[in-house]
Amino acid sequence: MVEELWVEKYRPRSLDEIVDQEEIVKRLKEFVKQKNMPHLLFAGPPGTGKTTAALALAHDLYGDYWRDNTLELNASDERGIDVIRSRIKDYARTLPLGDVPFKLVILDEADNMTGDAQQALRRTMELFSKNTRFILIANYASKIIEPIQSRCAVFRFQPLPKGDAFNRLKWIAKNEGITVDEQALEAIWEESQGDLRKAINTLQAASAISKNVTEEVVYAALGRVKPREVKEMIENALRGDIIGARDKLRVLLYNYGLSGIDIIRYIHREVLSQKSIKLDEATLADLLVLVAEANYRIVEGSDDEIQLMALLSKLAVLANKSKKG
Amino acid sequence: MSTSEPRLDVPWVEKYRPSKIAEVVNNEDAKKKYVAWINAWLRGKPQKKAALLYGPPGSGKTSIVHATAREFNWELIELNASDVRSREALRQRVSGALDTGSVFGYQGKIILLDEVDGISTREDAGGLQAILELIEKTRWPIVLTANDPWDPKLRTLRDACELIEFKKIGKRDVVKVLESICQKEKIECPKEVLSAIADNCKGDLRAAINDLQSIALGKKTLSVADLQVLGDRAEQENMFEIVRTVLTAKSPEQALSVTRLPSLDYEMLLQWLSENIPYQYEQSLQAIADAYNALSWADIMLSRMKREQQWSLLSYALELMTAGVSSSRERPPFKFVKYSFPEKIRILARQKERLEEYRKVVREASSRLHVSTSKFRTEVQPYLQVILEEDEEEGKMILRSLGIPENKINVVFKTEEKAHS
Repeated sequence: MVEELWVEKYRPRSLDEIVDQEEIVKRLKEFVKQKNMPHLLFAGPPGTGKTTAALALAHDLYGDYWRDNTLELNASDERGIDVIRSRIKDYARTLPLGDVPFKLVILDEADNMTGDAQQALRRTMELFSKNTRFILIANYASKIIEPIQSRCAVFRFQPLPKGDAFNRLKWIAKNEGITVDEQALEAIWEESQGDLRKAINTLQAASAISKNVTEEVVYAALGRVKPREVKEMIENALRGDIIGARDKLRVLLYNYGLSGIDIIRYIHREVLSQKSIKLDEATLADLLVLVAEANYRIVEGSDDEIQLMALLSKLAVLANKSKKG
Repeated sequence: MSTSEPRLDVPWVEKYRPSKIAEVVNNEDAKKKYVAWINAWLRGKPQKKAALLYGPPGSGKTSIVHATAREFNWELIELNASDVRSREALRQRVSGALDTGSVFGYQGKIILLDEVDGISTREDAGGLQAILELIEKTRWPIVLTANDPWDPKLRTLRDACELIEFKKIGKRDVVKVLESICQKEKIECPKEVLSAIADNCKGDLRAAINDLQSIALGKKTLSVADLQVLGDRAEQENMFEIVRTVLTAKSPEQALSVTRLPSLDYEMLLQWLSENIPYQYEQSLQAIADAYNALSWADIMLSRMKREQQWSLLSYALELMTAGVSSSRERPPFKFVKYSFPEKIRILARQKERLEEYRKVVREASSRLHVSTSKFRTEVQPYLQVILEEDEEEGKMILRSLGIPENKINVVFKTEEKAHS
C-alpha cells in the first residue's frame, strides 16, 4: 500500500464528487456543459475547496487531457510578474487539445501579488483572452485590484458547515480503517473552523498517534502542531514584556514562517477561550474588537510584525491596567 | 531558555570601537593633546576641567572617550546633549552622578556630553548654562563634542574647555580599519570594494563601517555588485539621528522635520522605528502602544497608497510615522538609547539562503499538493512532522509519495528543530 497525504488522496477529482459549495458547483457544471466560461475569481478562506474546484473544473472540461490544457501557477512561488507572464506566454502559444476552445490558467494565491504585478497581470489576461481563461484564487477578493475583479466572475467560497465536515472526516476514517469519536471530531472542528485541509491533516496526524482517535489523541496531535511560542508571546505581552513578546513573535513569523493572519487566528482562539487572556479592565467584547481590528489591519497593511506589535502592546496596556485596578 | 538567537545586532561601530586611546585611528596631534589633558586629571589638577573635541562626524571624538573609560576602568556617563533639554533635565541626570563617589568596580568616572552644538539656545532653556555650572563643580573629567565649535552660542563654553581638533580620517586608514573588520568577521571582500566604501564616506569612519555592515548583511563574500545598495544609503542622513529626532521630538513639528530630508527612505524608517520604539519608551506601555498604533496606521496608508495608486496618502503615512509616533500619551522622560538596526531585516537576510534551499526541496511536494512552498511549510509540514515522529516508516513513505528523497528530509525539518531548540 502506498501511503500518501489524505488531503491529496481524498481530494475530489471531478465536480460531481464535491459535496458542498452547491451553488458554485452548479454554475461550474454549467460552464462545462457550455464549453465556455469567463475568467473566474475564487475567493474565500483557506481549506474551503477553491483549488479543488478549479482542478475539478479543469478535469471535467478536458477529461483525460486536463493536464495538457491547464497551467497551474502559484503567485507566492513564481519570481515576479515577468516570470508569470513569460510562462503564460509560452503556454498560450499552442492550441488547446480536444474540443474546448480555450486553455486554462490557474493562478493560486493571487492576492499575494503586489498592485503593480496585478496591473501587469491584467494586461496579460487581455492579451491572451482569445485562447485562455484564467481562474484566480485568493483568500481576500478585496486584495485583488478593481479592474481584474470586474473582468472576472467572482465566486465566494464559504467555510464548510460543521455537518459536512464531520461527514467527510467520518468517511475518510472509515476508508482508512480507523475510528474517530464524536468528541474527537468536535476537537478537530474547534481548531479547524471550516478549514477542511486543516481538519483532514489533523485527523491524519492524530491517527498516526493512535488508530483509535479520541479527543485526547486529537489534543496531543494539536499540541505538537501548534507552536508553543504563541502562548509564550501572549504571556510576555500580558506581563508587560513587550520586547520578550516581540522575540517570540519573530520566531513565529520568521522561523516557523507563519503569516500574520495565522497568528491572529491563534490569538483569536485564546481570547475566545477566556483562559489565558482574561482581564478585569476589558470585556470579552472589548478584546474581540481589538483582535478583529488587528485582523482587518493585517489584511490591509503590509507589515505583519508592526501590525501584531500594535495589537500586543494594546493588550499589554489593558493587562497592566487590570493588574493595578 | 531563550528561543531567539544571540543578538547579532551590535552595530560594528560599537563592536569594534577601540578599547585603548592608542588604537584610535589617525589624529595623532589630537590624541597627544587629549592624553596630556587626561594626564593632568590623573595628577589631579587640570587647567581646564572640560575638553571640547571638535571635528567632522566619524573622526573618532566619541571613540576616544569610550576608549578612555575602558582603558582606565572608569564609568562612562554618556549624554547626548542635544537631548538635554533644560537645566533641570541636565541637573537631574548628571549632577547626582557627579556628587557621588564612583560605583563599586570602577576607578573613576568620565562624563561625555555628545553633540553640544545641537543644543538650541531658544528651546533648551538654560542647557548651556547648566553645562557651564557642571564644569565648574565637577570632580571628574567632562568631555564635550561638537561638529562646529565656532557657533557663537558656544563661545562661553569654548572658553571653559580645552579645545582639541579632530580631522577627517584618511582614505588609507579607513580601508585598513575595514580590512581588519572583514578579517575578524571572516568576510571576503576585494580591496576595490573597501576602497569604494572609503571614497564614498569622505573621511567619516563611522559611516564607512556602517556601510560595510549593511552591505555585508548575511553574506560571507562581497563583490562590487553589492555596492549598489550603498549608492542610496550613503546619501542618506544617518538613520540613528533620524530615529532619535522622531522618538524624542518635543513637538510634532520637530518630528515632522525629518520628512523634509531630501532622500528619506521611509520604508526603512518604518522598520527602524518599529525596532526601537520598545527600547526608547520602555517605561511606559501606553507610550509603546500609542506609538505602534500610529506606526501601524502609517503601514496601512503606505500599503493603500501602493495598491490603489493613491499617492496623496503618502503625506499622511509620513505624518503618522513621525508626528503620530512621537505624540504618544505618557511618553517617558528622555533616556539615551543606543538604537539598533532592524532585527527583522537581519533575520530575513540570514535566513534567505536556507529558505531557498528549503524551497528547492519542497517545490515538487508543494506542487503535487497544489499549495505554495510557504503554505507547505505552515500547513503541511507540522502535521508531517508528527506522523514522522510517531511512525517513521509511514512518514517516510508519505514523503516519498510527495517526491522528497530521504537524504533531504533533514533540510525540510531543520527549521522547526531550530525554533524548538
